[in-house]
Amino acid sequence: MHLLLLGVSHKTAPVDVRERLDFSSRDLGAAVEALATRPSAAESVVLSTCNRSEVYVASENPETARDEIIEFLSHYHSLPRESFSPHLFSLGDDAAAKHLFRVAAGLDSLVVGEPQILGQVKDAFETAAGRRCTGPMLSKLFHWSFGVGKRVRSETALGEGAVSISFAAVTLARKIFGRLAGRRVLVIGAGEISSLTAEHLRAQGVGEIVITSRTAAHAEALAASVGGRAARWDDLALLLTTADIVVTATGSQRPILTRAHIEATTGSRHRADPLFIIDLAVPRDVEAAVSDIEQVFLYNVDDLQSIVHENLTRRSREIAHAETIVAEELLKFATWQRSRGAVPTVVALRQRFDAIRRAELQRLDGKLAGLSPDARARVDEVTRLIVEKLLLEPTEQLKALPDEETQVAYTEAVNRLFRLRTGESTSSSTDAAADPSADRRK
Amino acid sequence: MNAIPLVLYAAAAIVYAVHFAKRQPAVGRMATTLLLLAALSHTFVIGMQTMEVRHVPFASRSHAISTFVWLLALSYLYLELTTDERAMGVFILPIAVGLQMIPAFSPGVENADPVLDSPWFWVHLLSLMFSYATFALAGMLGLTYMLQFKEIKKKHLGYFYARLPSLHVLDAMNSRAVVIGWLFLTIGVVVGVVWTAQARALAPGNSNLQAMGLNDPKILMAIVTWMVYSFEVFARSTMGWTGRRAAWLSALGFAIVLLNFLPVSYFVQTSHTFQ
Repeated sequence: MHLLLLGVSHKTAPVDVRERLDFSSRDLGAAVEALATRPSAAESVVLSTCNRSEVYVASENPETARDEIIEFLSHYHSLPRESFSPHLFSLGDDAAAKHLFRVAAGLDSLVVGEPQILGQVKDAFETAAGRRCTGPMLSKLFHWSFGVGKRVRSETALGEGAVSISFAAVTLARKIFGRLAGRRVLVIGAGEISSLTAEHLRAQGVGEIVITSRTAAHAEALAASVGGRAARWDDLALLLTTADIVVTATGSQRPILTRAHIEATTGSRHRADPLFIIDLAVPRDVEAAVSDIEQVFLYNVDDLQSIVHENLTRRSREIAHAETIVAEELLKFATWQRSRGAVPTVVALRQRFDAIRRAELQRLDGKLAGLSPDARARVDEVTRLIVEKLLLEPTEQLKALPDEETQVAYTEAVNRLFRLRTGESTSSSTDAAADPSADRRK
Repeated sequence: MNAIPLVLYAAAAIVYAVHFAKRQPAVGRMATTLLLLAALSHTFVIGMQTMEVRHVPFASRSHAISTFVWLLALSYLYLELTTDERAMGVFILPIAVGLQMIPAFSPGVENADPVLDSPWFWVHLLSLMFSYATFALAGMLGLTYMLQFKEIKKKHLGYFYARLPSLHVLDAMNSRAVVIGWLFLTIGVVVGVVWTAQARALAPGNSNLQAMGLNDPKILMAIVTWMVYSFEVFARSTMGWTGRRAAWLSALGFAIVLLNFLPVSYFVQTSHTFQ
């Protein structure tokens, strides 16, 4: 059984090609099922995120499978082959396994170490497994990749630290306020960056988001999209007194919040809690002297940018460590895979030996007739143990052979010496059967 | 006998430090387990001593310190298990290890003056010990608050930023510890005053009891401590002294407690020496 991977990712294909090959917006389960009906794809999993669409297949016949997958992609997405095939990458066996391990670890992501991908890999596998499209090979491979993802997350700092400005702001807010539930957010200026930050804050479960803007309509539009409340610009001073987190991003040329403004409001703040001001505007909306007030934490775009930069540098320092983990796990996986190659021979060898044992016992049946049933059972037991002990060492050795070539040579030799028929290479002979899904989508 | 808890506290301190540096959950669980074992063995040691002298061993300094460490460990474990925050262990355990060395290396002789044989006296001592243990927690929470505050305020998000809990959590835990400590300190002081008045009448010949008053350094320090923490509780509720100011006061209060606990009780002759 061979592994085969065909796909496009942000590294190989421009966004328009990726969009056209995207499975995630459609029913992924149906897609995997359609793929699994192709005879050469004995096991299949489809992984589709906004940065990649990848098809993993376990097949006896990777060459045929490769053609069939391209055919399937073209068919399923109603695209001519030529429109995407130059962007496809294709990997086999160890290279395919390595790729999946790197993907699960977050090493192949656009933002290295991003946390969602492991969940997406799990979902992809579970969708396929739920439709009975997976088998022992992909099941082992994917579960192994979950382990790799977990190891990289727990043993390296690859996924640590926020890597976008708005998320860096949210992380800071959590270090100041703890859980953000019930915290009041005031957004001043309804631009794109403030809407992104407001959405991140909403996702953290903040209590209330109040939006104010010089243009009331902008405030109302943003309030509707993030589930907040629009307020009048003239009430700014009042709004400041109740806010815990202030996000500013106006186009004003001069600071709209001065030290005097904030001091006036902190004096009347009914709680003595800190105030966290996130100034996302360029030029700045908040006077630098505001940060001299004890309970005020003021961060501007440059501050957040430098946090992001530092986090990215820290992540990139962890890449080598993560790659080492991937390499280690790949080695273990490859060993497991090779040991599987010897399985049919081992099984056949055991069957042959056991058959001989039974035949001999049968032949001696007459001579053994005088024995008590107890003694008969013991003879049976002893012969079985002898066979088992004789086979133990060769079995272990066969499974532990260092590379595939040697293994093929050894299993051949064993098959020949004991005249074994291992039944290999019979499963792909049924490939000639007509593909029932071929015209399903015409 | 105090050596066994000492070794376990030291082991827990090391594992808490490793956990703080590496942030691996398995190491954290190991640290908590070690501390639980330390507290358990310490409970056993104190239990044995109690059975031996027929009261909680307080009268000698080193026994009193051992009991303080025991209460500190239990209070910290309570804090950790209720908040699921392990980052404080690395700050608390060194205090436990440092203080536990005293009873482990110079065990005192428990030879209590019979005048102390009153339930009021034990309420007095247990309340004060427990309040000091919670002040130790509050002091360390204050210290870590200042570390975290400094990194966020100065925009140098470094080593402590990633490892310490949020400012809000540190402040809330500090507030709780100070209020509980202040309550027990108040109970301890009031019971002490009432009991002294009673005991003076019962044992007119006891020079210690007669000498007790504000001019005694130990009593004076206890009153100063009570004033500092009373101010902290008052300022938090009415003047909005939370956050960094409360953190400073907690650290200051604990410094005074330590001063009272070690130098004063070792080097200054006071009416509280009942040996």
